[in-house]
Amino acid sequence: MAPIKAVEAQNWLIEKIAHRLGVEPSEVSPEQYFDELELDSTEALILAGEMENWLGFELGTTALWYHPSIKELAAHIAEESATRTEAGHAASA
Amino acid sequence: MPPRRSRVPLPVVRLRPSAAGSGTVYLVHPGALAAGVHATLAEALPDGVGLTVLDLSALPEYWEAALTGGRAETTVEALAGRLLDEFTGAYDGGPYALAGWSFGGVVAQAVVRQQPPAQRPARLVLLDSIAPTEEYQQPDEALLPPLLIGWFAMYLGAKRGRPVLLDPDRLAACGVDDGLLLVLDAAVASGALAADTPLPGLRKLYDTYVDGLLRNNRLTAPYRPRPTEVPLVLVAAERSLIPDDPTLGWTPLAPYGLEVHRSPGDHYTMLTRPDAAELIARLVRPTPVPARTGAKKV
Repeated sequence: MAPIKAVEAQNWLIEKIAHRLGVEPSEVSPEQYFDELELDSTEALILAGEMENWLGFELGTTALWYHPSIKELAAHIAEESATRTEAGHAASA
Repeated sequence: MPPRRSRVPLPVVRLRPSAAGSGTVYLVHPGALAAGVHATLAEALPDGVGLTVLDLSALPEYWEAALTGGRAETTVEALAGRLLDEFTGAYDGGPYALAGWSFGGVVAQAVVRQQPPAQRPARLVLLDSIAPTEEYQQPDEALLPPLLIGWFAMYLGAKRGRPVLLDPDRLAACGVDDGLLLVLDAAVASGALAADTPLPGLRKLYDTYVDGLLRNNRLTAPYRPRPTEVPLVLVAAERSLIPDDPTLGWTPLAPYGLEVHRSPGDHYTMLTRPDAAELIARLVRPTPVPARTGAKKV
């Protein structure tokens, strides 16, 4: 499976967050910090679970803390996805 | 990269200032809900009495464990020592009362043990805290899905302000996966969750909740509490976590007496219901430390 690119992760996050907030995706900035969004902790965890299901791997709840904006988290997801894909290829080689 | 938390919780949260001489209630809070959940109690206190929350979830060694698998690199005694330092820094020398909700009551009891005798509160008020005694110290495996799913539904209902009521018969027979489906159906029906809430999202919320419980369970398991040097006042919720034991196991730790009250609500809603807050407000009366009479063993 191809690794997920940062822009894909960013678009996924923006679409889901916009849906939760009831706004257009264009109104959600990639630079936005999660703790500035009108998501409470319950919604944030539900979003994290949905995201892990989409990614196919566990991201760790602290990821939202260490990568606190949409853009930073998307970059981290891409990096993590690439590492996992590479490890998968190495294991099957 | 340094983490950014613009809303870093603080260990000392003054929910209501006290008027001169009226005293302050200090309440040990274990997280799960935000410290502001005690605002209903703050409003119910007599005029002038302050409420300060000592928030365990502001201590990284405690809160991070709920996000990383439920293993905390600390002990009940160490947490109590940290909170005693926070209390000492916040205490103004006036009348005060000490209380703790849930696992916060366990830590508050350990705080009293570490206080110099002359500075101890007149009594300790426990809000639906389960005693850390052998009777209730249990391995993780003893926390079976029906119990955890039932507690999780209670928590979710309190968190969202809408009750999430499960069919007891279906709950009794459930595993985690079908139990979460029960919760999802009930939560959507009551309006606690949006209709399009995905099951993997609810699963993440559940796993994090359970990690918080496991963290407290694992902190309690090796802990050997000593009897409390002041009388205990227990307020057990009508829908307590342990509904069959009105004392929640505190009798062996209460050589100076155990007074038991029953509050309306469940383990979580007892903090937000005005009728429960009215009862609790009557029980947490700040007492001047120097004027206190010595407690007598019963």
